[in-house]
Amino acid sequence: MTAKTIMSTSRQIEAQAASWLARRDAPGWRPADEAALNAWLTESTAHKVAFIRLEAAWHASQKLKALGAGVPKGVIPAPRLRRRSRVLRSRGGSAVESARAGTGQRIGSRRRRGRLALYGLAASVLVGAVVGSVWLFQPGGSVYRTAVGGLEAVPLTDGSKVTLNTDTDVRIELSPSERRVDLEHGEVFFEVAHDATRPFVVRAGDKRVVAVGTKFSVRRDGDEVWVVVTEGKVRMENRAAPSGAAPAQPPTLSSGSASPEVVFLPAGSVAHAAATGVLVKEETAAEAEAALSWRQGYVVLHDTPIADAAAEFNRYNSRKIVVADPEVGEIHIGGNFRSTSTDAFVRLLADGFPIRVDEREEEIVLTKK
Amino acid sequence: MAVMSGAMDEPLEAWFAREILAHEDALVRYLRRMWSDRDEIHDLRQETYIRVYEAAGKARPHSPKAFLFTTARHLLADRIRRERVVSIETRGDIEALDVLIDEISPEERASAHEELRTIARAFERLPPRCREVLWLRRVEELSQKEVAARLKIREGMVEKHVAKAMRRFAEALFGGRRRRSRKKSKETIDGEDDHVDQQTD
Repeated sequence: MTAKTIMSTSRQIEAQAASWLARRDAPGWRPADEAALNAWLTESTAHKVAFIRLEAAWHASQKLKALGAGVPKGVIPAPRLRRRSRVLRSRGGSAVESARAGTGQRIGSRRRRGRLALYGLAASVLVGAVVGSVWLFQPGGSVYRTAVGGLEAVPLTDGSKVTLNTDTDVRIELSPSERRVDLEHGEVFFEVAHDATRPFVVRAGDKRVVAVGTKFSVRRDGDEVWVVVTEGKVRMENRAAPSGAAPAQPPTLSSGSASPEVVFLPAGSVAHAAATGVLVKEETAAEAEAALSWRQGYVVLHDTPIADAAAEFNRYNSRKIVVADPEVGEIHIGGNFRSTSTDAFVRLLADGFPIRVDEREEEIVLTKK
Repeated sequence: MAVMSGAMDEPLEAWFAREILAHEDALVRYLRRMWSDRDEIHDLRQETYIRVYEAAGKARPHSPKAFLFTTARHLLADRIRRERVVSIETRGDIEALDVLIDEISPEERASAHEELRTIARAFERLPPRCREVLWLRRVEELSQKEVAARLKIREGMVEKHVAKAMRRFAEALFGGRRRRSRKKSKETIDGEDDHVDQQTD
């Protein structure tokens, strides 16, 4: 039985309980009906609790009479206008987010760059402890960096927007003929404003990813590059062939062509390029989006071995998780987690699995219990 | 703590409604906090109730609220083990769990006045049709047939409206001591009986 069927059952039961109660409330309720209801109730505790719950509410609703004392007959009181308290959903992070949004907008204006850089710096000092990003304006483009655990959205003057994930270093240069991004390391999500005269080119290691107007992310870790496309289409190609350096190993990752010169990646593509080749997975747009949950500050695991999950968390936290037991690393888990809540994550592992968690000052060690 | 001394003769149903359902709002918030799949909250709530009800049938717990949350916690742990899935959203600190419960639901014996206010608020939260049906049936004590005539809906449909109003009111009453997303509870109920609205007007 899947979770989904259980779920619909609990709602169906509630609906059944409600129609029993409504029928009993209607005229023509007979002893036979009463017997049938009793039979239904004794069938399962699930029926019983659903029924008790609705019946208790129905019973309580009679007290509305006390409130209806001053209301003329035939008039149904309308609700008073309610004050809508607009509480921000992420209360904890709101200060940081608004600070970010503020700096982001200011950076958007090109003319006032110099002054805006100051704003940026001032703001980054303000939120530095949390976000730890630095803007450095240099000839040949702007450099954007985030610290471990950082997350930063930066609007560009061409109308595009880039979002930097944890521990990222990227240089962005907008020239009249090209929009060029050099990803030193880390991960960036690009929302590219359409401009056919100026291709948007991301260089990551020996790969170039070219877009005109689309949404995609590029992550680079050393020689490895990941690309996720959520909208439109991008072209991934090798940069100028590395001088005489042939791949040390035969290409095994690639599906079909070995180290293809050019790969077109439509929306939903999740591509992983390593020295051995390029692997492209076709996902649904929703799945591709899920791979980009980091933009909301979440790590989304889906049937993921703990070893991989730990590696993912370690991208966001300086106190690393060490999986000291291969058996532990092979347990598969899923779920949504705050990327910076390593503590809570490992405590859950200790709660739900035969795993011992040894929290040391500089690392967290997982072993078998 | 609400220890019901000498109340063992009280029917289990009444005990359950007073001691357990009173904490539904807190329970649901707890489940939501711990479980990422919103679609499953309804089921988890029901599953928790089943366990509590069955256990209380053997012996009433001394501290119903604490027992309710312990049960919910065990349920989640079981789910995790069974499915090998940690579907838990760690928005808060897990260790703060026990503190959290008290924060979420301070032990307050609702006074009669307070109870009325809760009921009034729940009533106000209902969609118009449910409010009308509930008012006419419960306050003006019109029969279902008369309600149909008053609201100009087919007689056969009143029963469906009553059923819907019951579910909505229960959701608003038990779940709504603090304001929460109405959209969510709407989905919960409208999933099955949206046609009620469509067929009436």
